[in-house]
Amino acid sequence: MATFAEPLRPNVASADVQLPGVRDYEQVDTEIIGTLKPTAGWFGALGVAIAMFLVGAAAWIYQIYWGLGNAGYAPPVMWGVYIITFVFWVGIGHAGTLISAILFLFRAGFRTTIYRCAEAMTVFAVMTAGLFPIIHIGRPWKFFWLIPYPNWRLIWPNFKSPLVWDVFAISTYLTVSSTFLYVGLIPDIAVLRDRETNPLRKRILAILSLGWRNSEPEWRHFMKMYLFLAAFSTPLVLSVHSVVSFDFAMALTPGWHATIFPPYFVAGAIFSGIGMVFTIIIPIRKFFKLQHYVTINHLDAAAKLALFTSMVVGCAYLIEFWVAWYSGVAAEQDYFWNRVFGEWWWAAWIMLTCNMIFPLSLFSQKLRRNPTWLFILSIFINIGMWFERFVIIVPSLSHEFEPWQWGHYVPSWVDMSILVGSFGWFFMWFLLFIKQLPVVAIAEVKEIVPPKLRSHARGHGLDPSGHHLPYGTETPGEFD
Amino acid sequence: MRRGLVAAFREIDATCDAIEALKKKKYEFTVYTPTPRHEIEHAVAAPMSPVRRYTLIGGLLGVTFGYWIAVWTSEYWPLVVGGKAIASWIPYTIIGFETMVLVGALSTVAAMFINSRIPKITATVGFDPRFTHGDYGIFVEAAPERLKEAEETLRAHGAVEVRGES
Repeated sequence: MATFAEPLRPNVASADVQLPGVRDYEQVDTEIIGTLKPTAGWFGALGVAIAMFLVGAAAWIYQIYWGLGNAGYAPPVMWGVYIITFVFWVGIGHAGTLISAILFLFRAGFRTTIYRCAEAMTVFAVMTAGLFPIIHIGRPWKFFWLIPYPNWRLIWPNFKSPLVWDVFAISTYLTVSSTFLYVGLIPDIAVLRDRETNPLRKRILAILSLGWRNSEPEWRHFMKMYLFLAAFSTPLVLSVHSVVSFDFAMALTPGWHATIFPPYFVAGAIFSGIGMVFTIIIPIRKFFKLQHYVTINHLDAAAKLALFTSMVVGCAYLIEFWVAWYSGVAAEQDYFWNRVFGEWWWAAWIMLTCNMIFPLSLFSQKLRRNPTWLFILSIFINIGMWFERFVIIVPSLSHEFEPWQWGHYVPSWVDMSILVGSFGWFFMWFLLFIKQLPVVAIAEVKEIVPPKLRSHARGHGLDPSGHHLPYGTETPGEFD
Repeated sequence: MRRGLVAAFREIDATCDAIEALKKKKYEFTVYTPTPRHEIEHAVAAPMSPVRRYTLIGGLLGVTFGYWIAVWTSEYWPLVVGGKAIASWIPYTIIGFETMVLVGALSTVAAMFINSRIPKITATVGFDPRFTHGDYGIFVEAAPERLKEAEETLRAHGAVEVRGES
C-alpha cells in the first residue's frame, strides 16, 4: 500500500482561509482605516504615475493634431500597439471579476482580502482599455457612431459586426464592474463615515454611503443583490473576452480564424489579471503592513490559480500548432512556422517563456509562498501577456495569404508613449483609490473574524473576554 | 406617540437572545450588525428578500430590448451582407445577452436601494455609529408605557448600554 508524506503546509485552497492575526472587529477598522493616511512614498508613486500619464496624453494630442500616420501603422499591419494594449488591459480586468464574483459563488475563502483590490483593478483596467479603440480610430470625436442612437439619418450600426459586439460587451462590463465595486464599498464607506473626524470628509462620505446603517434588512437585501450581481458577472466576464476574441476569430486571417479563440482568450485574460493582482497586492501588503490580512496562504492559493490558468494557456498555444499542422492549410502552417522560427521568433519566445515556462515554478510550494518570487514572476507574466497579444496580431497581419503582401511593423514613439501613458493612467487611478477608500473589504473581513460571545463555555476557541484564541498549528492559517 | 430605545451589545449571542425575547413580547425592532451573520438572520427570521424578482424582470426586459433593437434596425435597412439573413438571431444573441446582464444587474441594484430604503438623506433615528464598528444594536419602537419593560428585557440579555430615542 502506498504511503503519503505529510504535506509541509495545510491545503489552504480547499479550506476556509482564516486570519489568526486579526482578533476582533475593532482591530479591522483601525488597521484598514490606518492605511488611508497618505505617505511620502505614495505621493512619489502618484507623481511618477501622473508623469507617465502626461507623456501618453501629450503623444495622443500630437497624434490627433498630425494624424494617425504617426502611429507606426504600415500596410498590411493596420492593427498595432493600440489594439494589442486594448486586449491586454481588458484581459487584466478579468481577474478582478473572477476573484470578486466567480470565487464568491464558489465560496473560496482566500478571495476575501484580495477581492477589493482586484475589483478596483478591473474597473481601472477596463477604463484604460476603453480608451484604446478610441485612440486607434484616429478621429476620436466620432467614436459615438458605434453606439445605436436614434438619429435623423436613420442610420444604425451593423449588429453583425464583432466591433459592435465589442462596444456592447465592454460598456456593459465597465458599467457592471464599477457598479459591483461601488455597491460593495457602501458598507465600508459607512464605517469610514462613522470614524471620520474631518467635517468635510465626513459629509462627502455620508453622501457616498447613501445613509447606510448596517441594519439587518439592509444586509438581507444587500446579500441577495451581491449574489445576483456575482451570478450576472460570472457569464459576463466569460462573454467579454470571448467577444474580444471574435474581433480576430471572425476574420479569415491565418492564426486568427480558430474556434479555440474564446476559451483561449478567457484563460489568458484571467492569467494576465492574476499576474497584475500579484504586481499590485504584494507591494500593498508590504507597504500597508497588511501581511496578516493578505497572508502567505492567500498568495499560495492565488498562485495555484495562476499555475492552472498558465497551463490552460500553454495548452492552447500547443493546440494552435497542432491544429495548423493537422489542417493541411499551407498558409496556416507557414504562419505558425514564421511565428516561432521566422521573423517574429523573439516575440513568440518571450511569450512562451514568460507564460508557459516560468509559471511552472509555481509547482514548488516554497516558491508559491515566496512573495518576492511571486512579484518577479508577475512582472514576467505581464510582459508575456502583452507579447501574447503582439504575437497574435502583428505576425498574422504581416504574413497573410499573398507573399507580395507581406510586410513589417515597427511601433513609433507615439505608440510607445501612449502605451507608457496607459500604465500611468491606470496606476494614477489605482493610487488615488487606495488612499481614499479601503483596499481590503472591511465588512467581509469581519465576516471571517469569529464574533464575540457572552459565555466562553458557549464559544469554541474564545477567551473569557470574547476574543478568539490564537489558532493551533493544525488550523489552516498563517504559519510563516 | 411612539418612542424608541437604542441598545448596544458587545456579543452576538446576547443580541440573538434579546431578539428572541423581544419577538416573544411582540415588540417592533430593527437590528444592527457590523457584518452580516447567519445567527442574527435566523433569530430575526425575516422573509426572503424580493430582490430576485427585480432581477428576473430586469433581465427579461434587457434581453428583449437587445434582440429587438438589433432585429428592428436590421429590418429598417434590409441590406443582405454575405448571404446572411437580414435578422440573424445568432449574432444578435450577443447583443441580447449583454443587454440582459446590463439591465438585470442595474435592476438588482435598484431593488436593493428600493427595499433597503436608501439613499437616506434624513437624520437617522435609532442608530449609533458604533454599529458600524464592533457592536451589535437593537432599536425598539414602542408606546411609552411599554418602554420600561423593553429596557429591562434588553438589559437582562446583556445590553451594555440602553438609551432613549424619539
